Amino acid sequence: MRSVCLIILWIMGNASMFASLPEQFPVDSLPEQLGLYRVTDKLNYTGKELYDYINGGAELYLSYGLVSMTGCKYNGDDLPQVTVEIYEMTSAENAFGVYTQGRDKEEYDYGQGSQSFPDFIFFWKDRYFVTVSTQEVIPESEKAIQYMAGLIDKSIPKMGEKPAIINDLPKEDLLPAGFLYFHHYIWLNAYLFIADYNIINIDENCDAVLAKYGEADARSYLLLAAYSDEEKALAACKNLQEKYAPELSVDSPFVELEDKTWFTVWTRGNKLGAIFNAHSQEKTEKLFKSAINKM
Amino acid sequence: MEKLITRRDLLKKTALMAVGGTLLLNRPVNAWAWGTEEGTKSKVVLIRNRQLFAGGNQPDSGIAGQMLDEAVRTLTGKSNTKEAWASIVKPADIVGIKTNVWDKFPTPIVMNDLLKERVLQAGVNETNVSVNDRGVKDDPIFKNATALINVRPMRTHAWSGVGSCIKNYIMFSPQPSSYHDDSCASLAALYELPIVKGKTRLHVLVLFNPLFHHRTPQDASEEYMWKYSGLIVGFDPVAVDSVGLRILQGKRNAFFQEDKPLNPPAKHIELADTRYHLGTADPAKIELVKLGWDEESFV
Repeated sequence: MRSVCLIILWIMGNASMFASLPEQFPVDSLPEQLGLYRVTDKLNYTGKELYDYINGGAELYLSYGLVSMTGCKYNGDDLPQVTVEIYEMTSAENAFGVYTQGRDKEEYDYGQGSQSFPDFIFFWKDRYFVTVSTQEVIPESEKAIQYMAGLIDKSIPKMGEKPAIINDLPKEDLLPAGFLYFHHYIWLNAYLFIADYNIINIDENCDAVLAKYGEADARSYLLLAAYSDEEKALAACKNLQEKYAPELSVDSPFVELEDKTWFTVWTRGNKLGAIFNAHSQEKTEKLFKSAINKM
Repeated sequence: MEKLITRRDLLKKTALMAVGGTLLLNRPVNAWAWGTEEGTKSKVVLIRNRQLFAGGNQPDSGIAGQMLDEAVRTLTGKSNTKEAWASIVKPADIVGIKTNVWDKFPTPIVMNDLLKERVLQAGVNETNVSVNDRGVKDDPIFKNATALINVRPMRTHAWSGVGSCIKNYIMFSPQPSSYHDDSCASLAALYELPIVKGKTRLHVLVLFNPLFHHRTPQDASEEYMWKYSGLIVGFDPVAVDSVGLRILQGKRNAFFQEDKPLNPPAKHIELADTRYHLGTADPAKIELVKLGWDEESFV
């Protein structure tokens, strides 16, 4: 069998996937009273118990190693409900990963990255992903969610590290907030359809990032994945190459596909890289060189 | 054995695909018919009325009723509303109306009420009708139902891609989470459960103000709803969902001004066709009848 992965020296260490299990977030420190609001429900779910709260939506958090979700619902006379949800993940990297699922711009009003809307604030800090929302925007509820987001931000004492693999992303032409960090194969198709199965053997020990480059009408996608060892990276590369572009070879590493876009895949040490949907060979080569120089 | 599919497979099959073109399940529209045979088309009716929200943020119940009746007449081929509903439920039926009560984006109450009213007008005894969602497994009407009507709003979903008619039956499962694997790929198997099998008479996908995007699983912001003012009705839940999916995807691409595929893709709709043979997801095999307002219909 012909493996044509481009194997280049491995120069970086493995990203740490899971930090030690965190201590419980002090949810009891959330205020019982918040202006005219008071706590009416306390939320506390561990692992798959989250199904009881959000059923299938829980899978997103579970795919990033959810430890628990705690929070409160606040109500007041004639006031729209305010809900606080604090998702405690196994690591800061995973909290960041959940954050990259929902963010579409870069803001830093809360925590280590946040998105603020009149009805909804979410942010990540250390190993926590936090959402504060209201059913309806009125001045009191908007003020309440801003206050609660600020309070929780201050209550989380330390900052967390972002996944090391995102440092491998070339900066040039990368869309602001245009990348997703994950280690469950379901998210492989987040930006474009790649395969309806786990074509590169992503699992909980694999760090992956999918990134957007260039304008909407000429967009390239860069996929990077760091495996626990070089053999796994090679196996994933071989599988993707054989299923996706069997004509790819060492002599011809960039392949033009039927829709006139370009593709390539390679490995370096325990890392895999792949470019999808590039609009010319030149763009593919340029992104490839930028990526491999950072890997 | 089921074929595993890559983007390249689809590109080979659909060499005419335009980059950035309309995608269904993040795929070219004309790539749908994997493993399916030529056959009769599934009829689906899409009806819209731009006056539905003319009075404010709540749908006008009179207009909603007119839309429902016209859609059902068209679907059944009956010129008379009474005959149309009589062809769907019989006076002797025990009818469960499976709604959706997710507090952030439930089935509009007006639709529950209209469907119950139409069932009663068809001669069904009021004691033999129930509207329920999370309690269906313990509801004596649903447990003894001879007929089901499936009604829910269309929205994006953080794990299954979309929440639409096929997924609405997950509450019939003794263990809903057992259908979560592979982004809810096996949802169509719900239709084999004894409490459900062969009983559904009508699927109503409500697109009054569909939710086309979410930021977190619990998010249902009005910022990502739009007054599409539509209803989709059909007998084939896969075809109904397939049409709804195209509309949602069209809106996402228009709103974000780029290809914005559902994340994750709504894989279960295609598999409902190709793996479970519950109906057809292939647009070429769907007879879509469009009634009323057509501006930015996305299909």
